[in-house]
Amino acid sequence: MTVPAVVLFAVFHTFPALQGIFYSFTNWDGLSLTYDFVGLKNYYYLFRDENVWHSYLFTFQFAIVSTVLVNVLSLAIVIGLNEKIKFKNFFRAVYFLPNVLSVLIVGYIFNYLFANVLPLWGEKLGIEALSTNILGSEKWAWVGIVIVAVWQACALNTILYLAGLQTVPSELYEASSLDGASKWQNFRHITFPMIAPFFTINMVLAMKNFLMVFDQVVALTGGGPGRATESISLLIYNGGFQGGEFAYQSANSVIYFIVIMAVSILQIKFLQKREVDM
Amino acid sequence: MKKALALVMSSALTFSLLTACGNKTEQNASESGGKVKIEFFHYKPEARGTFDKLIEKFEKENPNIDVVNANPPDAGTVLKTRAAKRDMPDIVGVGADTTFAELAKAGMFEDVTKAPELNNIQPSYIQMVKDVSGLEQVYAIPYAANADAVIYNKAIFKELGLSVPKTWDEFIAAAEKIKAAGKTPFYFTFKDAWTTLPAYNALAANTQGETFFQDLNKGKTSFEKGYKEATEKFVELLKYGHKDQFGKGYADGNVAFAKGESAMYLQGIWAIPEIKKANPNIELGVFPYPVTNNPEQTKLVSGVDLLFAISKTSKHPKEAKKFIDFLLKEENAKAYMAEQNALSAIKGLTQEDPMLEGLKESFAKGALVDFPDHYIPPSINLANLLQQLTHDQDVEKFLKTMDAEWEKVKERK
Repeated sequence: MTVPAVVLFAVFHTFPALQGIFYSFTNWDGLSLTYDFVGLKNYYYLFRDENVWHSYLFTFQFAIVSTVLVNVLSLAIVIGLNEKIKFKNFFRAVYFLPNVLSVLIVGYIFNYLFANVLPLWGEKLGIEALSTNILGSEKWAWVGIVIVAVWQACALNTILYLAGLQTVPSELYEASSLDGASKWQNFRHITFPMIAPFFTINMVLAMKNFLMVFDQVVALTGGGPGRATESISLLIYNGGFQGGEFAYQSANSVIYFIVIMAVSILQIKFLQKREVDM
Repeated sequence: MKKALALVMSSALTFSLLTACGNKTEQNASESGGKVKIEFFHYKPEARGTFDKLIEKFEKENPNIDVVNANPPDAGTVLKTRAAKRDMPDIVGVGADTTFAELAKAGMFEDVTKAPELNNIQPSYIQMVKDVSGLEQVYAIPYAANADAVIYNKAIFKELGLSVPKTWDEFIAAAEKIKAAGKTPFYFTFKDAWTTLPAYNALAANTQGETFFQDLNKGKTSFEKGYKEATEKFVELLKYGHKDQFGKGYADGNVAFAKGESAMYLQGIWAIPEIKKANPNIELGVFPYPVTNNPEQTKLVSGVDLLFAISKTSKHPKEAKKFIDFLLKEENAKAYMAEQNALSAIKGLTQEDPMLEGLKESFAKGALVDFPDHYIPPSINLANLLQQLTHDQDVEKFLKTMDAEWEKVKERK
């Protein structure tokens, strides 16, 4: 059982990854029959390329805002869904729906909303900022992407939090209700500490996913206007496959891989410490 | 349970191995059956149906050849990845663009410099195929051409008493007049970055000078010098847009123009079928971008929209050539031009559609010039830089960035 799994993993994951690292030391354009070794040249130019810096800046800004929003929202949804409300299971299904839809379809639906529906409302309500498509605005296009990404990512995080809530023993709430604790106190002192491991995993997963944002950007803005919403993955894809700089962008993805790994490890270390403290 | 999983895993592995060598077995089988299979790979989804019909006709005439009409989405990227895998289709049909140039430089195509077929092709298009790849040899046969021209709404022009502008000043005056009449002169679709290119290409091609890219490669000139006029004129055009010009995309623009929301549309003739789809009754015409004040000098930007190249690794080059010859035959080429609303690269074959009347003169005179953006490496991402320019309208900054990016890409090579 383990042997085929290891073989599959090696063939489809480890080997291509090593190949990518190998190419990052060459000047291969992705097509030619020959290439030369150039050592660390690609890495050197990477650090001097302001487009790369800019895409890192955008991606981190986007990822941090989205991670926070997703976790706040899905915690709120989960608390609501755990109350004794009518149609609880129906609502749980509804909140999970965005996760089932393909990102591209979601992107195109929102594209239509941003381009046609929202401006119409903005016009009617007399809100100047809304009367044009926000995806066409240099300043606000990233907000559009955050809205779509968060809307969709909430589903998975909500499910994980729901699972977490099942692990909280109900005696704790019974005891606290005897003491006359408020809802907020319940959440602050029981629910949240008890689901801390789920908080950790959600933060790490969300951050990692948002750092790798690609399809939402492609579907909504294509990296524009200008380079305002060009995420790192998009830059690697565009430069590497269409721009004929395969080796150069391989170097970029090697660094990107290290950065994401470092962020995830730091997050886990930091958040797990918090878990123990409780 | 464990056994079942192992079975699934191993069968998945065998399956992937099988598909990996699938191509080969397929080919052998087809050969032993007396039928030769050739793959015709092209990047024109809108021409798929036309090619289906032509292929059917060809297969009737040549019952022993089976032509596969391959047209995946995002064909340029697919083609490049297939080239990297050394799994090239027999015939490649793309435009004379950077994808073609890179593949030609990488030695993927057969040299057709001496092919007799080229005698029948307009020399300016053969030159473009050479120029864009930067090579001495010709690696493809040009088939169809497009034209980058202003599309205008004849009804609105009549209503406002406007005639087709011949000079830059007349062009701006017409835009002013349309604006004064409370209408939109140009419908801009800047949400899709590439839609900045048609207008900018025409402006740059007519003002950059004959030898701009040669000089640039030698370090004798820069974008700051050669592209200043084009960029300033581009920014001037931006004054005549509509309110939400950053929020609309190409598809929105085609529909809006078809509905008469603007008098002119800064696109190329490739947009006409889409506009007609949205409003079959629209009366439209086209004219070359009047970039300078000397109408004698105006050149129409027209590039090779479709060329045919035979890949060097093709196992059936003879059959592939036969198919290309078939497509080049006058009746078949005519059928393609008529259905695709395209211009022919074949000598003496003119597009008779009255809509394209306004371009006839340029073609007759041979006043044609290639798309400048085909000479700019895609990693510079001209379209997005132009999109940026539409936002901040900072000519100086744009030109400086172009120079800096050009240097950077050259250095990294």
